[in-house]
Amino acid sequence: MFQQTRTKTITIVLLLAGMALYTGFAGFYGRELIIEAAYLVILAISLDLVAGYGGMISLCHGAIFGIGAYVFAVLTSMYDISPLIALPAAIVAGAIFGLFVGAVTSKTSGIFFIMTTLAFGQMVYVYVFENRALGGDDGLSGVERIDLSWLGLDMGNSMQFAWFSIVLAGLAYVVAAAVLRSGFGRTLVGIRSNEGRMRALGLPVRRYKAVAFAISGALAALAGTIAAQQTMFVSPQMMGWMMSGEALVIVILGGLGTLVGPAVGAVLFVFLQHEVSELTRYWHMIVGIVLILVVVLGNRGAYGQIEHMIMHRRRPVAPAKSSLEAASEQEESHA
Amino acid sequence: MTFWIVQALNGLQLSMLLFLLSIGLTVIFGLMHFVNLAHGALYTLGAYAAVSAVAATGTYWGGFVFAPLAVAMAGVVLYTGLIRRMRKAGPMSQVLVTFGLIFVFLDLMRITWGDLALSIAEPTLFTGRSELLGVAYPTYRLFIIGLGLAVMLGLWVLLSRTQIGAMIRAGVDNDQMAACLGINVERLFFIVFCIGCALAGLAGAVAAPVLSVTPDMGTQILIPTLIVVVIGGLGSLKGAIAGSLMVGFIQTFGAVLAPQLASVSIYALLAAVLIFRPAGLFPAKA
Amino acid sequence: MLEARNLHKAFGQVRVTNDVSIAVEKGERRVVLGPNGAGKTTLFNILVGELSPTSGTIRLGGEDVTGHSVEARAKRGLARSYQKNNLFNDLTIRDNLALAIATATGAASRMGDTLRDPAIVERIEEVAARVNLRELLDQPVDSVSYGARRQLEVGLALATNPRVLLMDEPTSGVGPEMIRAFHDLLKSLPRDLTVLIIEHDMDLAFDVADQVTVLNYGEVVFEGTPGDTRESSLVNEIYLGGSVDA
Repeated sequence: MFQQTRTKTITIVLLLAGMALYTGFAGFYGRELIIEAAYLVILAISLDLVAGYGGMISLCHGAIFGIGAYVFAVLTSMYDISPLIALPAAIVAGAIFGLFVGAVTSKTSGIFFIMTTLAFGQMVYVYVFENRALGGDDGLSGVERIDLSWLGLDMGNSMQFAWFSIVLAGLAYVVAAAVLRSGFGRTLVGIRSNEGRMRALGLPVRRYKAVAFAISGALAALAGTIAAQQTMFVSPQMMGWMMSGEALVIVILGGLGTLVGPAVGAVLFVFLQHEVSELTRYWHMIVGIVLILVVVLGNRGAYGQIEHMIMHRRRPVAPAKSSLEAASEQEESHA
Repeated sequence: MTFWIVQALNGLQLSMLLFLLSIGLTVIFGLMHFVNLAHGALYTLGAYAAVSAVAATGTYWGGFVFAPLAVAMAGVVLYTGLIRRMRKAGPMSQVLVTFGLIFVFLDLMRITWGDLALSIAEPTLFTGRSELLGVAYPTYRLFIIGLGLAVMLGLWVLLSRTQIGAMIRAGVDNDQMAACLGINVERLFFIVFCIGCALAGLAGAVAAPVLSVTPDMGTQILIPTLIVVVIGGLGSLKGAIAGSLMVGFIQTFGAVLAPQLASVSIYALLAAVLIFRPAGLFPAKA
Repeated sequence: MLEARNLHKAFGQVRVTNDVSIAVEKGERRVVLGPNGAGKTTLFNILVGELSPTSGTIRLGGEDVTGHSVEARAKRGLARSYQKNNLFNDLTIRDNLALAIATATGAASRMGDTLRDPAIVERIEEVAARVNLRELLDQPVDSVSYGARRQLEVGLALATNPRVLLMDEPTSGVGPEMIRAFHDLLKSLPRDLTVLIIEHDMDLAFDVADQVTVLNYGEVVFEGTPGDTRESSLVNEIYLGGSVDA
C-alpha cells in the first residue's frame, strides 16, 4: 500500500528544491538538463503508477509521451492554437489513449500484457513515422512554448522554463500520490497483489485497470508536452519502444513501486548520462550493467533500497517484499 | 507479373530471415517461459562474427560456419552466467535483464567493431542473378530462401522424429510432466538455448551480405521477430513458420503498395491476435 | 436464495458436474459432502461464476445470474472463501480486509483515504474480531501462521457483507482448536445469512447443517437432514467404501 511517509516527503521536496537551486548555479546546458530531468520525473511517476502499483508493466509509455508531445506540437505549430489550450488537449489525448490501451489490454497479464502494450505503442510510433503530414521521420518544428506572461513569467528564459517544469513535476507527484492514497489507489494495489480475489470480492477489475492507465496516460502526455516545448521540436524518436524501455529502466533504477524512487531515478539518469558521456562514449553499457545488477541483486532500486533500510530499522517485523517480487509472483500465478 | 514474382521472392527471403530468428526465440519462450529480448543482439553478434571470420579466412563460408558457433558460445556464457538464475524470476525481471543485455551488447559491438556500417561480399558460388519463374533474381537471395526451407525441414525432422525433439515437445507441453518422465529439463533448456543462439548467429551471417552490419541491426529486427513469435504461438514450429510468412509478406508488399498502412497493420494484427487469440494462431500446447 | 438447476460441466470428455440441482433457502446452512474429486469445488466455481457451466441455470435471490461475471455476482451478495488460501499476500491483514470492505461499500472508487473513513475502520475491527485476527491486523499476510491465513480467508468473504456465503473447506489443515473456534464463528453468524460449506469434518458438518448435500462423481447422490445423512447407507458406503479422504 502507498503511504506518503516522511521519508518520501523529505526526499521529493529535497529533490525538487535541489533541482530548482541548481538552475541558479548552472549555465544554459545545466538548465536544459534540469528540464529534461523534470519531464522524465513526470514520465517515470506516470509509469510507476501503473507498473509499480498496478502491476501493469507497460512498454507503450514512450508512445503516450510522444502523443502528448505531438498533439501539443501539431496544435501549436500547424493550427496556431494557444499552448494554453494545446496543453490540456494533449493531456486529454494521452488519457484517452491510455484508457483505450488499458481497456483493451485489461484481459491480458504477464508477458502478454507487456507484448500488447508494446504493439500498441509501436503502432503509434510507426503511424507517426510514416505520416508525412506529421513530418514523418523528420519530425515537426515550430512548437510554441506556453505563454505565462500574465503571471510575470517569461518562458523563453531557460531558467524560468526550468522552474515551470519543476513545478509541473511537483504537481504530477502530488496528483499521483493523491490517487494512490485514495480508495481507488489502494484498490489498484489490491489488483496488483491478487487480481482474481479482487474480482471475487466484486470489483470490476478491468474498469479499474483502464482508469488507472488513463490517469497514467494523462501524466505521461504532460511530460511529453514539456519535452516538446523544451526543444520546440518533436520527432518520432521520442516515442519508439526504446523510449518506453528507457522509462522503465529509470523506474527500476530508482525503485519500482515507491513513487519517489522513479523521480530520483530520472534525475540520476539524466545527470549520470551527462557525466558518464563526458568520460566514455559507452553510456548504454553502463546503464545495461547497472540495470542487470539491480534486477539480479534484490530488485529494489536506489531509493527503494534506502527506504527498505529505513523501514527495517524502525520496524524489524516483516520481510517486506519489493513490489517487483510481488509483481513477478502475481504474473507467475497468472501464467 | 514480374513485379509480383520479385516481391513474392523478397517477401519469402525476409520471411526466412525472420524464421531463423524467431524459431529459436519461440522454442526458448515456449519451453523455458523465458523472454529473451537480447535475441536480436545475438543476431547482430552473428553478423559481426561473420564479418571478422570472412576477413580472417578470406571466404564467405568461414563466416557462415564460424558465426553460429561463436554465438552459441556466447549463449553458453549467457546461460550459465545469467539466464539460468533468471528463469524463475517472472517475465518482468526477464524483460528488464535482457533489455539491459541489449544495451551491453550494443556498446560491446561498438567497441569491438566501431560505429560504421560493415558488410561482406556474397559467396562467389552465389553471386549474380539466376533465372526463376521468368525473372532474374539475385542468386544469393535464393540461397537464403533455400537455406530457410532447409532449416525448417531439419527442425521439423528434429522435433518430430528424434528423441530430443520428443523431449522438447513434452517440455513445451508440460515441463513438470516432462521432469516427472525423467527428462533432464535443465540440460534440455541449455541445449535448446544454445541451438536458438546458433540459429540467431546463422541468421546474422546470412543477413550480413544483404543488409549492412550495424550495432543496432538487432534492435531493428527484434520487434518483427517478437511479433512473429506471438502471432504464431509460443513454442510452436508451425506458428513460427506461419508468423514469419505473414510478417515477411505484409512488410514486403506493404512497403511497395501502401507503406503507411502496412507498417501499422502488422501491429494491428499483433494486437488483434493478442486480444482475440492470446495463445497465438498455432499454440503449441493442446 | 441460491438455486441451481441441471448444471452440467464437461472438460472435453470428462464430466465434472453432471445434472446438479441444488436449492438453498434464505438463512439455511447447507453442508456439501463428498469424497475428493466429487466435484464440490467445481460446483462452487460454477456457482460464483469462475467457471461457466456447459448448461443449466443459476438463480440468486430469484434473479437469473447464469450469464453474470464473478464480480457481478459478488456485487449481488454472493461471496466465497477458497480451499487454498487466496489472499493479498504482500499486504497487511488490515489492508486485506479494507480492500474487501471498500469493494463492497463502493469506497474502492472514491478519492478519500479508505483507512480514514470511520465506518470502514469500525467494520475492519468488527470483522477482525469475528475471525480472531484483531491482534494481527498490522502484520503482512506472508508473515502470519497458516491458521491465521485460513481465518483471513473467511474474513475476506465475510467482510463484503454477503447474502450468500460459500466456504470451501474453511478448516482444511488446521488443528482441533481452530476447528472449534470456527464452529463458534459459524454459529454466531446472522441467521438470515445463507451459508454453503464444503466440509470434511463430519461432526462439524452435522452439527451446523440444516441440510446436507452429498456429491459423488459430479452428481448429487443424496440430500437430506443431518440425521438422515448419518443413517444413509449410501453415504456411509461412499465415505467408508474406500474413497475416504483427508
